Amino acid sequence: MTNSINGIPYESPRPAREDDFELLQLGADLKDAKFESPPIGFFKDATLRLAKNKAAVAALVIILVVSAMAVFGPMMTAYAFDQQFVDYQNMPPRIPLLAPLGIADGSRVLENRRADGLSDTEKYPEGCILKVMNRRTVNGVEMVDVKVDYYRYSGCEENFLLGSDYLGRDLWTRLWRGTRVSLFIAVFSVVTNVIIGVIYGSVAGYYGGKLDMVLMRVCEIIQSFPRVVVATLFIMFFGTGIFSIIMSLLISGWIQTARLVRAQFYRFKGREYVLAARTMGVRDRAIIFRHILPNSLGPIITTMMIAVPQAIFTESFLAYIGLGLKAPEPSIGVLLSEGQKVLLNFPYQSLFPGIVISALMISFNLFGNGLRDAMDPTLRGT
Amino acid sequence: MMKYFFQRVLALVITLFIILTVAFLVIRLMPGSIYDSNESLSAEMVKILEDKYHLNDPMIVQYRYFLEDIIVRGDWGTSVAVQPRVPVWEVLGSKIPVTLQLNFISLVIAMPIGIAAGIFAAIYQNTKVDYVISFFVVLFISVPSFIFGSLLQYFLAYKLGWFPIIYNATGVGMAKYLSMVLPITALTFSPVARVTRYLRGELIENLSSEYMLLARTKGLTQLQATVRHSMRNSFVPLANIIIPMFTNILTGSLVVEQIFSVAGVGGLLVASINSSDHTLTIAILIFYSLISLVTILIVDLSYGLIDPRVRIGGGSYD
Repeated sequence: MTNSINGIPYESPRPAREDDFELLQLGADLKDAKFESPPIGFFKDATLRLAKNKAAVAALVIILVVSAMAVFGPMMTAYAFDQQFVDYQNMPPRIPLLAPLGIADGSRVLENRRADGLSDTEKYPEGCILKVMNRRTVNGVEMVDVKVDYYRYSGCEENFLLGSDYLGRDLWTRLWRGTRVSLFIAVFSVVTNVIIGVIYGSVAGYYGGKLDMVLMRVCEIIQSFPRVVVATLFIMFFGTGIFSIIMSLLISGWIQTARLVRAQFYRFKGREYVLAARTMGVRDRAIIFRHILPNSLGPIITTMMIAVPQAIFTESFLAYIGLGLKAPEPSIGVLLSEGQKVLLNFPYQSLFPGIVISALMISFNLFGNGLRDAMDPTLRGT
Repeated sequence: MMKYFFQRVLALVITLFIILTVAFLVIRLMPGSIYDSNESLSAEMVKILEDKYHLNDPMIVQYRYFLEDIIVRGDWGTSVAVQPRVPVWEVLGSKIPVTLQLNFISLVIAMPIGIAAGIFAAIYQNTKVDYVISFFVVLFISVPSFIFGSLLQYFLAYKLGWFPIIYNATGVGMAKYLSMVLPITALTFSPVARVTRYLRGELIENLSSEYMLLARTKGLTQLQATVRHSMRNSFVPLANIIIPMFTNILTGSLVVEQIFSVAGVGGLLVASINSSDHTLTIAILIFYSLISLVTILIVDLSYGLIDPRVRIGGGSYD
């Protein structure tokens, strides 16, 4: 039988048989190696990059050490944070380990003392005089400056590692207790802010339209309240205390996260996988939280890290101008503002809280920058 | 552009109104009477005083009086406790210049330093110069201004005696300027670091852009191309971070004023809160809000003015 198309005849093809085909690579060995290591996901990738950033790792270590001290530090001494030793006010710091080096050995220089009184053991108990300096004669009386072991001088049996404050409270205990309070305020407010911001931003970004417009106008208005004004109003109404400080941090703190999450939703909500999920009848809530939100996890974590030092700063700033926590509860800001009052006489009382807050702020900023670089390398160095 | 301008101004007025209302509510809903702390007044006197100031009227009536006084008559009341019987704007007016002066000078000083450091860091990107500058940027951004204030006060003023320990409000000439050096320096660190970080980022991005390549190809030297093209483009967005920085410095100045005993708005705010001088507190809060809102307004408007590419409303000049 002959077939023809347009009058041109052609031979009908014979049906294909199995032996027409030859499996070329049946016996060939595959050249590409099988992955021996487990696959690396987004977060593992970020962790690897972060681990290479020395500054960020060092910052993380400092954060962990300070946090650990905030938890265990107050337990290391026998004193409570509000325990007062009225006889031992403003004692200098004495750390036994460092004492042989001449740092923090509990000594203090007493100026303008009569030289002939130095042998008086009532006034200067035996062995308390370390060094006599600057001998001079004023109005016919020989005067000296004398460096004494202040603990022996005042007959103090206690040992205050970082000294004591104007009420004779142990500053080591107060410092770490204060760090704990400051960190608590910061972490609590930041976590709450992120939760509010994520929900608000998701709703605005996912539903869009008029709802989005209204929600964003609300954001704009709230954001333009200056933080000082908000804090002041809260403190006026509820009085000073941890509640007012946290509330003033919560009023506008969530907006940054909300904007960020909203932007991410606008980016992802039109993608095919979202359309597929919706076609399959996935509910809005699941699309928002299971399918779209995980995409913005990286930036959210970075924002959190940057927000922590801001919260610590706001707390200590409020405490500094006298709108902080109620006494006797310490926070880093309270300690700094108490230290500032006696800065010129007892600088060590400002020094240690100053070091802790600076270390925390620098570490959180460095770690936050490191995280951002690790999660989104395109933003590096900006 | 005009339409946009009026929209923004309207938004500003609405926000101010909300702050005013919230402040009113907070003060009137607080438990206790303004006269509680004054024990020399008999109950009868308190009643008379409260009637005089309409404190026993319904809230909404009080609110009407409050708004009428402020908006129609421009009468913000008199200070009750801090400087009794002096109009609040007079009290505030004597303090604002000091605060603004400190803040403005520190911003003006910060800008050239920050710009120079930012340019150096960007041009010598990833060299030792850059690393040193970046180190100081992190340090200055992180450490709060009041820590710098305390350090400066202890070392430069107390130990070395180069500067007065506290601000000298009554001094004239050199004595006064010398006492302003430390508070201004303490306030300058953070803006310097912010300008540096921002400019470095912008400039690095511009230096590696294609128009730089074109500029080099057509025969400009690297210096010419950098100065004429990259830098110009980097300075455009700088205005938008410098203006809001003013609000930041103003906040930091609250504390620095306390350290150096500057008789500015910061101390006044704390004093007015602690002595329940509510009329004064409201005036100070409005002052802060106004400054912060105006800076936001300027930024919003300058986006369009400085850089036409981001003009809102599809580039039309309506």
